Amino acid sequence: MGGLIALVAAVHHECDVVNEVVCVPADVKTLFEFKEPWFTIGPVNFTRTSFLFLLAALIVVALLFFGLRRNRMVPSKFEAAIQSLVEFVRDGIARDIIGPEGVKYTPYLLSIFMLILVGNFFELTPFINFPIMSRMAIPFFLSLVTYFIFVIVGFAKNGLSYVTAIVWPKSVPVALRPLVGLIEFVSTFALRPLTLAVRLFANMVAGHLMLSLLLGSGVAFILAVGEIGPKAGIGIFWFAFGLFIFLFEIVVASLQAYVFTLLSAVYIQSSLHPEH
Amino acid sequence: MRTNLQLAILAQEESGSNISLVLPETNELIAGIVSFLIVFFFVWKWALPAINRILEARQKAITGKLEDAERAKNEAESLRKDYEKQLADSRTQRNEILDEARKNAEQIKADLLAKAQTEADGIVAKAREEADNEKSRALSEARQEVANLTIDLAEKVVGQSLDRETQLGLVERYIAELEEK
Repeated sequence: MGGLIALVAAVHHECDVVNEVVCVPADVKTLFEFKEPWFTIGPVNFTRTSFLFLLAALIVVALLFFGLRRNRMVPSKFEAAIQSLVEFVRDGIARDIIGPEGVKYTPYLLSIFMLILVGNFFELTPFINFPIMSRMAIPFFLSLVTYFIFVIVGFAKNGLSYVTAIVWPKSVPVALRPLVGLIEFVSTFALRPLTLAVRLFANMVAGHLMLSLLLGSGVAFILAVGEIGPKAGIGIFWFAFGLFIFLFEIVVASLQAYVFTLLSAVYIQSSLHPEH
Repeated sequence: MRTNLQLAILAQEESGSNISLVLPETNELIAGIVSFLIVFFFVWKWALPAINRILEARQKAITGKLEDAERAKNEAESLRKDYEKQLADSRTQRNEILDEARKNAEQIKADLLAKAQTEADGIVAKAREEADNEKSRALSEARQEVANLTIDLAEKVVGQSLDRETQLGLVERYIAELEEK
């Protein structure tokens, strides 16, 4: 497991904090190495990250189950929150972005929204401290699913004119059509899945690194007070800055879940109506 | 002399490509797909039907409540109109009763006054009649007395008793003559 504990341990035990300006453990890869598999099923290793993936899924299921279990006229605060979240995805994303026919994509959009939201908040959860979307597996898979959905929907709805409308856009002057068509083609079929996955992945990696570095180095500096004396005071600054980033990451975690879901809806919408 | 940073970069280059940190691991990919499928099937088969049920029930309940409220409002409105009408009716009725009572009272008062007047008149008339009677009786008595005295006087003057009946006739005639004068 990368992150805070490994970093603090590495810095504290392997670095000459007095003399070295940049301290790197002997093998930097250890910072990115994940714990030994807990157990192995056939060829598949079950690691802490795998466990967190499943935990996120179970938390989503539990949230929805307890939020929607009772059919009451006046919901509790928790039920109202969960219900308004579901309504937000169904009405605010599926229906508003895609249109009335978009409601049938709600199961997919709600699933990815909830899974990414919970997974991102793992970054800020004590004792987990690890955003599962900072591993490529789920962003990669979900952006691939979105890709297949919008390509299949495009062909199913428009036939071959789905591609021709993109490659030869009629709303653009003839002279520009080859250029715009090429850009649109590459953007739609090559860049969309890539950017969708990388946006989420990179944001969570960056947030996780920031938190780990700031909080970790803050703790490391403060703990090294015996060796470096008053210079350890800078650790307080790093730690405080880390706490500020922590608040910032709350926004990022929610926003990235929203952006991923929103863009999936936008891509599906653009396949239903490629002329726009 | 190499810095630690250069050492670190070298170490990474030696131990393989960094692209492996970006690409998904098979283990995690499998776990990720399983997680997604768990969530997706739960949402698809249970969560969305549940929220649709909840929202429909709530919508129905709220619509029903609104209709109830509308009906209650209308009822209250018609009740209010009834009450106002009754109030106005009773006010008119009260006025009528008062008018009638006043009229009755005036009638009774007038009757009583008239009756009292009649009684008073009766009493006065009776008193006057009695006084007249008294007066005429006194007169006749006085006349009788005068006649008697005159006769007695005449007897004493004449010195002898005249025939009383004749003398009475004389006196009467004399008085009648006086009255005629």
